[in-house]
Amino acid sequence: MTNSIKLRSKTLEQPVYSAALAVFRLIFGLMLFGGVVRFWLKGWIEELYILPKHYFHYYGFEWVPHLGNGTYLLFLICGLSALCFALGLFYRLSSILLFLSFTYIELLDKTNYLNHYYFVTLVLLLMIWLPANTNLAIDNIIKPATQKRWVPAWTVWSIRLMLFIVYFYAGLAKLNSDWLLEAMPLRLWLPAKNDLPIFGSLLNEVWVAYLFSWFGAFYDLTVPFFLLYRPTRPYAFVAVIVFHVATSVLFPIGLFPYIMILSAVIFFDDKDIDVLVLKCKNYFTILPVDSGSDMFTFAPKLRYVRLYAFAVFFVIQVLFPWRYLLYPGELFWTEEGYRFSWRVMLMEKTGYAQFVVKDAETGNTIGVNNNDFLTRNQEKMMSTQPDFLLQYAKILYIHYQQMGIKDPKVFATVYVGMNGRRSRLFIDSSVNLAKERDLFRHKTWIIDYKDKIYGL
Amino acid sequence: MNWKVMLLIPVALFITTVGCKKKDNNPDNNNNNSFDRGALLTNYADNYIIPAYSDMTQKLTELKSKIDEFATAPDSSKLAAARTTWQTAYITWQSVDLLEFGPEASLSLRNYINTFPVTVSKLDANITSGSYDLEQFGNKDAQGFPAIEYLLSGIASTNAAVIGYYTTDAQATARKQYLQALAAKMLSKVSDVKSAWNTYRNTYISSTGTDAGSSISLTTNAFVQYYERFLRSGKIGLPVGAMTGVAAPTLTEAYYTPTLSKELAVAAMNAFKNFYNGKGYNNNTDGMGFNDYLMAVGTKDQTGKAMATVINDDLSSATSSLGAYPTTIKDGVINKRSELLAIYEQLQSIVPLLKVDMVSAFGISITYTDNDGD
Repeated sequence: MTNSIKLRSKTLEQPVYSAALAVFRLIFGLMLFGGVVRFWLKGWIEELYILPKHYFHYYGFEWVPHLGNGTYLLFLICGLSALCFALGLFYRLSSILLFLSFTYIELLDKTNYLNHYYFVTLVLLLMIWLPANTNLAIDNIIKPATQKRWVPAWTVWSIRLMLFIVYFYAGLAKLNSDWLLEAMPLRLWLPAKNDLPIFGSLLNEVWVAYLFSWFGAFYDLTVPFFLLYRPTRPYAFVAVIVFHVATSVLFPIGLFPYIMILSAVIFFDDKDIDVLVLKCKNYFTILPVDSGSDMFTFAPKLRYVRLYAFAVFFVIQVLFPWRYLLYPGELFWTEEGYRFSWRVMLMEKTGYAQFVVKDAETGNTIGVNNNDFLTRNQEKMMSTQPDFLLQYAKILYIHYQQMGIKDPKVFATVYVGMNGRRSRLFIDSSVNLAKERDLFRHKTWIIDYKDKIYGL
Repeated sequence: MNWKVMLLIPVALFITTVGCKKKDNNPDNNNNNSFDRGALLTNYADNYIIPAYSDMTQKLTELKSKIDEFATAPDSSKLAAARTTWQTAYITWQSVDLLEFGPEASLSLRNYINTFPVTVSKLDANITSGSYDLEQFGNKDAQGFPAIEYLLSGIASTNAAVIGYYTTDAQATARKQYLQALAAKMLSKVSDVKSAWNTYRNTYISSTGTDAGSSISLTTNAFVQYYERFLRSGKIGLPVGAMTGVAAPTLTEAYYTPTLSKELAVAAMNAFKNFYNGKGYNNNTDGMGFNDYLMAVGTKDQTGKAMATVINDDLSSATSSLGAYPTTIKDGVINKRSELLAIYEQLQSIVPLLKVDMVSAFGISITYTDNDGD
């Protein structure tokens, strides 16, 4: 091994207090547990994963089976493993189970795709491989040898890097003409909240939409730096709280603000966290907090494999959001390469899709009532996203084939409105969607968007 | 670079951008969209919805009394009176039909009042058996305006023959009872909704948010869905067979009174447009409506015309095309098919304006589940 790699790996393997990782684990796990409970109590398990007649699968995950009432069991596993994960109980097993069950849920229906769920999936994937149970964990009580005061620096930094990517890319995505020059879509969304107490009337003002847009972009691009830099960190953390609480008041984005606020704890100085947990131990002596001086080391065989695997993971994370550049056409319009790229709150996009099914043999035509097949939320997603349109066409094809039509042709007239512009025809209505395939190639049946949105 | 300086750069850029922002076909910067949804809802409740239910109740009270008179002593003048009040009430219903939210939705009024076509066999079976529950959902196509229409006009072609069914026919008594029960059922259903609105009103006008259960969301969804499914499709699209390519005259509204079908559709279009524009039910005073909300949000089309105006104009021209249609819908679906299909296309072109442009400008959520704005 060359000296430079050794040196670099030395920096990466510098000891940092394990308490930083442990506290993050505790907070993240409890939050996910709360998220599962919330989902359950709101009746969303049934609404989103049991009642729908059809589901929209992710590309390559068509095989993921739906569980019917067994979905409750899946959520039970997810919730319990989140709790065990938080407490550091059987950490390796619980972290794997949590990752698998959470990801399974996400894979059930891409209608419910949210960027922050994707973020959670990625963090959980990382956490499986990190020694997050070396402190403040029940595992340490069961097996004291697992307790270590120190962990290699890269373990903490990998979580920080993940958060950094999320924020920074979300900021980059806001550098476009609609967001900065038109204050879209906030200009449509903010007045919808003008009945809020005290600040409500301000939300009518166009300049407020501009201020929010610009501040939002500035915030996303800079807050990870301010969080990393010790002198600005306290202010940045206050900004994190204010910003995300404000978004949770203004928009129906559920857990996302709290995930971001609590995750930002990972930016705190590991020494400060160590001091904090030691103080806590003074009050609650039962807490398994380490005051020793052992350093956690990975088994030498897999040490570098793990490090390189993480490097590959992050290279993918850094590159993946740029895949949209490989597609022609307007990203916001085609959404080819839009998902998994930290594009949050960027578009007010609404569609209307009227499907007709034609029997090639008899010439009979049937108008489709989408509500017979899809939930309202599925219909909303389907009407604006080409891959959903195709999958829905397949659903219709199979349905009408079972109804006795030999080779149903599926056509759709779709109108889409985006960021306040007048609705226009979205796809070629003369294309038999049942015969089109959902590939990574550009979908040529999408009608080109005439307006240009400048920027990233 | 000092981070304070870094802070200044975007602030300076921001001020420059907002300062230099040129006017274009996007929402108007000068327009202050300080729109008061509470005032909109109050206008709808007090000046449209509540007066509409009062009027509907009154018309159905009249219908019930005329039908009772006819049933007591069936003759041709009482038959004519019953038909006339039926017709007046049916036209009035066109202004109420679009209000299927709140109490109307929970009582599913439309199903009881205007499910067409009537299923004659079911209706006859009810009369013969004499035991039926009109509240039962399965009976929705054996009651309401279409069922009364059948009993007053569709059962036979001459007045004398119709009256025969209520005098000399073996089922005359049972048929009279059924006819009276239908009128009473409609009146009681509408009265229920009317009185429910008295208490619901305050809930309605105080729910000023835009979430999935808010009044603005319920009203908009009902309004848009009514247009697409019951006006566009129900009155024109299904009978003309716009999607199937096959005319289906039996699906025409007011099938047994063909001269009325177009009038009903025009009345529905007018009511729809008036509601959109926030016009009062009785006095036509221009109050706050969807058009004002849309104007306040300020979205425009490519030519710079306000979307609020685009929708109004398109509704107007579709209404006048429909008014100028030269024949009845029942005959026209076969004889003047292409003209009617053209009108359907006109009606259809308004659907995306309502479902996409209007709804998205209002910033309404359609479900309670989380989203991150795509």
